[in-house]
Amino acid sequence: MRTIAIAVAAASTLLASLPAAAKLNSCDGPVVFGTTLSETGPFSTLADRWRKLTEVFAEEINKSGGIAVKACNKKLPLQFVIYDDQSVPATAVQLYEKMATVDKVDFFVGPDWSSIGGPVPPIADKYQIPMVMANVATPALYDRGLRYTWGTPFPVVPNWSTRYFDMLTKVNPKPQSIYFITHDNPVMKGITASWSKKAEAQGLKVLGNETFSPELKDFTALIAKVRAAKADVIYISSYDNASVPLVQQMRQLKVRAMDVHHTMLTGALARQVGADIEGMTGELSWYPGVKGAYSELVETVMQRSNVTMFDYIWTLGRLTSYLAMVQGIEKAGVVDREKVREALFKATIRSPAGDVTFDERGFPNTGAFTVQMQNGKVNVVWPPEVATGRLAWPSPSWQQ
Amino acid sequence: MEVLLQVLIGGVLLGGLYALVAFGLSLIYGVVRILNFAHGTLLAVCGVAASLAFSAWQMHPALIAAMLAPLLFAFAWAYYHLLLRPLAARNHFEGTVGTVLVTVGTLLILSDLTAKAAGSTQRNIPLRLPALEFGEIVVSSTQLLILGGIVVLTIVMHVLLKHTWFGRAIRAVTQDGVGAQICGVRSVHMKALTFAFGSATVAVAAVLYVLSFPVDPYMGFGLTVKAFTIIVVGGVGNLPGALLAGVFLGVAEGLTGLYWKPEWAPALSVIAMLLILVVWPKGLGRSA
Repeated sequence: MRTIAIAVAAASTLLASLPAAAKLNSCDGPVVFGTTLSETGPFSTLADRWRKLTEVFAEEINKSGGIAVKACNKKLPLQFVIYDDQSVPATAVQLYEKMATVDKVDFFVGPDWSSIGGPVPPIADKYQIPMVMANVATPALYDRGLRYTWGTPFPVVPNWSTRYFDMLTKVNPKPQSIYFITHDNPVMKGITASWSKKAEAQGLKVLGNETFSPELKDFTALIAKVRAAKADVIYISSYDNASVPLVQQMRQLKVRAMDVHHTMLTGALARQVGADIEGMTGELSWYPGVKGAYSELVETVMQRSNVTMFDYIWTLGRLTSYLAMVQGIEKAGVVDREKVREALFKATIRSPAGDVTFDERGFPNTGAFTVQMQNGKVNVVWPPEVATGRLAWPSPSWQQ
Repeated sequence: MEVLLQVLIGGVLLGGLYALVAFGLSLIYGVVRILNFAHGTLLAVCGVAASLAFSAWQMHPALIAAMLAPLLFAFAWAYYHLLLRPLAARNHFEGTVGTVLVTVGTLLILSDLTAKAAGSTQRNIPLRLPALEFGEIVVSSTQLLILGGIVVLTIVMHVLLKHTWFGRAIRAVTQDGVGAQICGVRSVHMKALTFAFGSATVAVAAVLYVLSFPVDPYMGFGLTVKAFTIIVVGGVGNLPGALLAGVFLGVAEGLTGLYWKPEWAPALSVIAMLLILVVWPKGLGRSA
C-alpha cells in the first residue's frame, strides 16, 4: 500500500513538473517554446550559461504579461522546455522528437551550430512546427526546401565583415593591400573566399592567403611570409582558440601593419593572449550600449544571467531566435503554427542590432559591428553613429 | 634569404622544445623498457597547472617548474610501483599489452580529470618579452629563454647520466640488469627512479612549452607521437641523437610551411617516422 502511495505521489510530482500542455488556437495556458542547449560537450564553453539566460528571458517577457496575442485580446505567458543536447547531433534529434511528441511544445527555438542545424530541422517539417534556429550560419543548410525553418545567426558569412570593409574605404591613410590568414575550417574558408573577392573589388591588392590547421603550433614560416609581404591589413579568418599561438607569435616576431583584423575577437582570445590583443579589430554582433529594438530587454537578461557578449559572442543569435518567435506570434495574432509560419515568412524581425529579414529559404541578413581592443577593453568603432569608442588608425600597437 | 633564415631559426628553437619532450620518454624506454603513452598528457596537465599558477599568483615560470618537478617525480614513482611494476611479473606479451593499456588508460583519465577540474579550453603563460631584431630577422626573446632552458636541462641530464653514481647505475641496469644487481645496484629501485626522473623532466618541458604554445588537456597524444618520432629518428636512449632529431623535425616542419603549406606541417612527424622506420629501422643515432 505504501509502495503504491509513493508511486502515485512520484507520478503526480512528475506530471506537475511538466509544462502545461499547450493549447494551439486557444487562449488558455502558456505559449511553450521547446529548445536544446549545448550545456555539456565540446560546445559547452560557448553556451554553458544559456539555461539561466533562457529562463530569465521568459521571466522578463512575462513581467509585462507575456506575448501579445491579438485574437485572445490579451497576453499569454511564455514558458520554455529546455534540454541539454550535449553538443551531440543525435541527442539533439531525439530531444526534438521528444519535445514534439511527448512535451507537445508549441514552437521550436534556438538549436545552435551547423552540426546540429543539419539533422534537426527535418523534425520541424515532419511535425509542422515552426523553428527559428539560432547560431546555424552555413547557408547550404537552408537550401533543402525546408518549410518550417528560419535562422538568426549573427553575423552570416556574406555579411560578416561588411562594416569593416566599409571602414577600410573611409580611413586615412587608406590601406592598399591585404593578406588573409585562414583557419582550415569550412566557415572560415567561406569567409575568406567571400571577403578576398570583395577586397579586390574595392581596390585592395590581395597579397596572399595562408591556410593553417588547428593543430599547428609553430607559425614561424607562415609569419615570415606575411612579414615579407608587408601588407597594410592582415585579416585573420579563424576561430579564437585556433589562432592563439598565431597572434602571440605575430607579436613576438614583430609583425607590423596598419591593422590586424580577427573574425572572432572574443573574451577567450583576450584571456589567452593577454596584452597581445591590444589594437586588434574584429567583429561583434552587438554590444551593450548600442541602442536598438529590445536592447534594454537584452541588456537586462544578459546582466541577470551573468552573460557578457564578449565572452559568449553567440548570445545575440540565441536571444534573437526567441525574439523572432515572439514577434512571429504577435504578428500572426494567434497561437497557430501555420499562421505563425506565414507571419515569419513576411516578417521584419526587430533586434538590438537592427532589423532582420529572411530570404525565401529562411536565411537572414544579419551583420556585425566592427570593434577594436583599446586599453584592454572592447569598443565598437564602426559605424561611427553607434560607436562606443574612436577608431585608432593605423593601429598604434601594430606600428611598433 | 631573410625569410629562410627566419624559418631556420624558428625550426631550431621549436626542435629543441620537441627534443626536451622526448628526453624523458627516451630515457624511460631506454632503461625501463616502457612505452609511456601518457608522457605527452603529463606535459599537457603540467602545462595547464603552470598556466593556472601563473594567472592566479603571477609566479615566475622557473619557480613553477621547480615546484612541479618534485610533485611529478613523486607521482611517477608511486605510479610505477602501483601500476607498472606488477606487470613485470607477467609474461612478455601480457606485460607489454598491460603496459599499453595502463598508460593509455592513464592518458584518458588524466585528460578527463584535468578537463573537469580546469576546463577543456586552451591555456598558456602570456609572458611577453621584447624581441631582438637584426635587420629583417627577428628572434623572440621568449624562444631564446626557452632555448636557454633546453641547453641547461640537456647539460644537467648529461652530467647526471655520465658523471654521477645515479647515471652509472642507470647505465648498468640498461646494459645488464642481473649483473648490476649482483654488484649492489637495486634494479627495481633504479627503474622506479628512472621512470620518476624521466617524468619529472616533463614538468620543465611543460613550463617551457606553455611559454610559447597553448596547451589543453587533450593535446598530449599528439606530443607523444612527436616524441616517439624523435626517439625513432635519434635512437633509443640517445640524448644528443634526440636533440638532433628534434631540431631536424622542427626545421622540416618550418620548411614545409614555407615551401609548401602550413596545414601539412603537423602531419610531417608521422610521415618522417614511417619513412625512417622503412629506410633506417634502427634510427639515425646510436642506441645507448
